[in-house]
Amino acid sequence: MRVAVIAGSIAGGLRIAREIENLPGVAVFVVVCNAGKRAPVLRWSRELLLAFRSFKWRMLATTGYRYAQLRKLIILGGRLDDETSIEHLRELQCDVGLHAANVIYREPVISAFRLGILNAHIGILPKYRGRCVAEWSVLQGDPTGETVFFIDSGIDTGDRIVLREVIPSKGWKSARALKNMLFACDARLYRKALETLMSSEFSLQSNDTSKGQRYYVMSRLFTKAVNKILATTPVTSG
Amino acid sequence: MDLETALSRPVPLDRSEGILRGELLTRRAELRRSWRHLITRECLESLGALAKEVESFLSGEDAFCDWRFAVTFTWMNCNASFTDSLRAIALARKVEHRPSNTPPDRLSLANFNTLSRNERIEVLCDRYRCPLNIGLPSESDVAEELLRQLMVPDRAKLEAGKEFDVDFVLLKLNLAGVRAMMTRDLRFLDALNYFYELPRRSLVRLRASPHFLAFWLCIYGQLLCTPEW
Repeated sequence: MRVAVIAGSIAGGLRIAREIENLPGVAVFVVVCNAGKRAPVLRWSRELLLAFRSFKWRMLATTGYRYAQLRKLIILGGRLDDETSIEHLRELQCDVGLHAANVIYREPVISAFRLGILNAHIGILPKYRGRCVAEWSVLQGDPTGETVFFIDSGIDTGDRIVLREVIPSKGWKSARALKNMLFACDARLYRKALETLMSSEFSLQSNDTSKGQRYYVMSRLFTKAVNKILATTPVTSG
Repeated sequence: MDLETALSRPVPLDRSEGILRGELLTRRAELRRSWRHLITRECLESLGALAKEVESFLSGEDAFCDWRFAVTFTWMNCNASFTDSLRAIALARKVEHRPSNTPPDRLSLANFNTLSRNERIEVLCDRYRCPLNIGLPSESDVAEELLRQLMVPDRAKLEAGKEFDVDFVLLKLNLAGVRAMMTRDLRFLDALNYFYELPRRSLVRLRASPHFLAFWLCIYGQLLCTPEW
């Protein structure tokens, strides 16, 4: 299976690539796009800053060099949905893309991958679509977790769910800490999703959007309530 | 933990509800103290006879109307104008309405979004002449679209300090508030929370539509002291 991590930074892309590169039968590429349409100086300063902040700059440098030598590190100059970028993606002949960039995917980009692009969404679908879904789940007393599904051009409306995993919020004392923990689970869940896709006894689950709602960015008032709920949740409870 | 077990397991909500209620009542107390920053004296005077009622409603004791019973109706007709009905709802008064079994045709969102700004306002004020209708299950698609517009394009404009359509944004906020009153959907309440928290430089521009601004704050005040979310 040929897999491309679509990343907003080299550091972000390599982090996921390292998690899945040892999966048997998987060839990994890292495609870095200029999501924020930054000027070159800003873009590369950001890359350096992200690598430095990861405290793993030596590992990043060696892995990055290795990927570049094998021509598995592709830096896109233009927007992801430029014709040139899409042509690059098609040439890779990948089966699956892994979402790791802050971009909205249009149909030509999605269809450049044989099976589509996977997204590790930090909420349980189909109930929680959209933004701040971890906080909304806590506020409404629902389990927190993640869903890995094939995206479409809508907001978390892609019909094919590969896996859902409950990841309890207990022990996390703020919404920010909880979200950071959930975001950091993406590489592990992508690995699990690819393993699932390659297994023989696998069937996709349906993302029935009529069974859920779209959520939006949460107000400071509700976020404060979520922080209080998290801070006062006994670690022993579910 | 197995996903189906986790999703089906009842979660004790008492503590969460208590925390949420505490935060909402704190915001209500804050609104009681600070609403004059939004509705200035000049703005209040422009409300005419309504000014005293709005002043006493926002500064006075907590009051709210429970409209949940109306969700069971198919449709509601009324003789009063949209503005008069909205004023009654905002001030927690009785709203003259007659339950009906013949709802209007569904509103096509595709067509609605192609209309001009004035036409859209006219369509909404006409359809929701009895504003309680926005809370009916049959109006979910319209309500979701209004919520999306508020929380995506309108929010972005206000946060960036860009020009926005004051009347239309306030109309949507009022309808979202009425929907929250009837359905207890926290997302609609939170749209009002979010707009109330936006930068003052954007919020003060809402004074251009003093009646809708006053109604919005009165509805928001009611939602903040509403129990059972």
